[in-house]
Amino acid sequence: MEVLDQLNSTPLYLISGGIILFVVAMSLFFLIRAYRAGIAIGMDRTKLKRTVTSSITFSILPSISILLGVIALSGSLGIPLPWLRLSVIGALHYETSVADIAARNTGLDSLNAEQMTPTAFTTIALLMSVGIIWGVVCMALFGKTYTRKLQKKKTGTKKGGGFGDLAMTAMFIGLITAYIGSFIGQLVQFQNGSFVITGQYLQLVTLVFAAGAMAVFIYFTEKKKLAWLENFSIAGSMLVGMAASVFSNMIF
Amino acid sequence: MNEQQRNEYLEKYNNRTHLFGRIGLLLGIVMLVGSPFLMGLSLDAMPDLSAFGKGFAQIAIIYIPSCIVEFLIYTPMLGAGGSYLGFITGNMINMKIPCALNARDIAGTEAGTTENEIVSTLSIAASSLVTTVVIALGVLLMIPLRPVLEAEVLQPAFDNVVPALFGAMAIKYFRKGKELVAIPLVVMTLLFVFVPSLISNVGFLMILSGAIAIAHAWIRMRKTQKKEAGEA
Repeated sequence: MEVLDQLNSTPLYLISGGIILFVVAMSLFFLIRAYRAGIAIGMDRTKLKRTVTSSITFSILPSISILLGVIALSGSLGIPLPWLRLSVIGALHYETSVADIAARNTGLDSLNAEQMTPTAFTTIALLMSVGIIWGVVCMALFGKTYTRKLQKKKTGTKKGGGFGDLAMTAMFIGLITAYIGSFIGQLVQFQNGSFVITGQYLQLVTLVFAAGAMAVFIYFTEKKKLAWLENFSIAGSMLVGMAASVFSNMIF
Repeated sequence: MNEQQRNEYLEKYNNRTHLFGRIGLLLGIVMLVGSPFLMGLSLDAMPDLSAFGKGFAQIAIIYIPSCIVEFLIYTPMLGAGGSYLGFITGNMINMKIPCALNARDIAGTEAGTTENEIVSTLSIAASSLVTTVVIALGVLLMIPLRPVLEAEVLQPAFDNVVPALFGAMAIKYFRKGKELVAIPLVVMTLLFVFVPSLISNVGFLMILSGAIAIAHAWIRMRKTQKKEAGEA
């Protein structure tokens, strides 16, 4: 039997599928609990349902890109392991690079199907799993203490409250600006005393078009009072940005 | 439900969130670490622990600090329930965090409140389920879908999901804190343009840009408070 056939065998699907089912059950359990708690403390049912709807539409496109990560890794690792890794704790940007580091340490030249052996595979699987597990370990051990410290006593839905809310907005602005800076840095770089244009412009084109589309969505939701559009604004803007990257790549 | 009943209910809800969350995470850790050994039993090939040790040293040096920083930064953004689910289901920065913040905006809740805790949990749970369904469908339909998803013409779209996501989120968040954008944006741009090797460490440098934005927000808030106190 070829190695890839072994890596795609039924027992491996059952192992990955079993763990993924556990995480699905946990997500459903938390979803139902949170919904019931929201109703019990008098939150608006419509608001709760909109939260779920908007999160579903929001997650479809990023999920497809995660699926692509599964497909990309399946060529060398089979389907069950990448499926598990990207459904439980995994992160798209992490898995590919760690799989490659792991492969090199098991004696492979790089992550590839030709040199893969069952032992290399299980070693890579263990490295991929243990390498990223620390956020979960921290949360399991210290999550309770940490969230209790952070928890404010007040409740309510009024806006413009304490510094916590402003700090969250600031943190996210910091995060986005770091990424925008990195996209600019990928296009323009200072090398050996002069500025060099690398030609990696697609990230910025995508970003600008997605941002423009979002501005249009905001115009319609706020000025034209089409509140229902808000649920689709992120997914719609992302589609516009991604389409722009495809067309720019075809044209230039 | 009166105020006292509500507080008692929430106290119980929060305690149970931690209990269930911890049990779920610990079971998840055991299953995840155990799975390569289970797969090894099926393949008759256990992991090579010496190769694991060497690889782990390389990976740990990058990812243990990064995971700890993620725990410290993301937990306040997601609340308890959202964090338990978010950490076990993963894909935090490219999906769960923006998803939860978007839900918070739509529901109009404030960070740190019980309402936000509930909205955040609902959002992360829904998002996780969508990812699981999309990947499961993708795996089932792998053969017909593969040519479409791997079509060369579509690759730029899938390579640029993160810029698309952050472009859309940027407009939403920059409007909420216009005055906080310029300094971290200029600092980060200069840093990446002049030291391009840092681009691969953007995950770490977002701590710096976040700290700059938070410090700026704090200074502005103090100024406003002093001004208001002076006027009073």
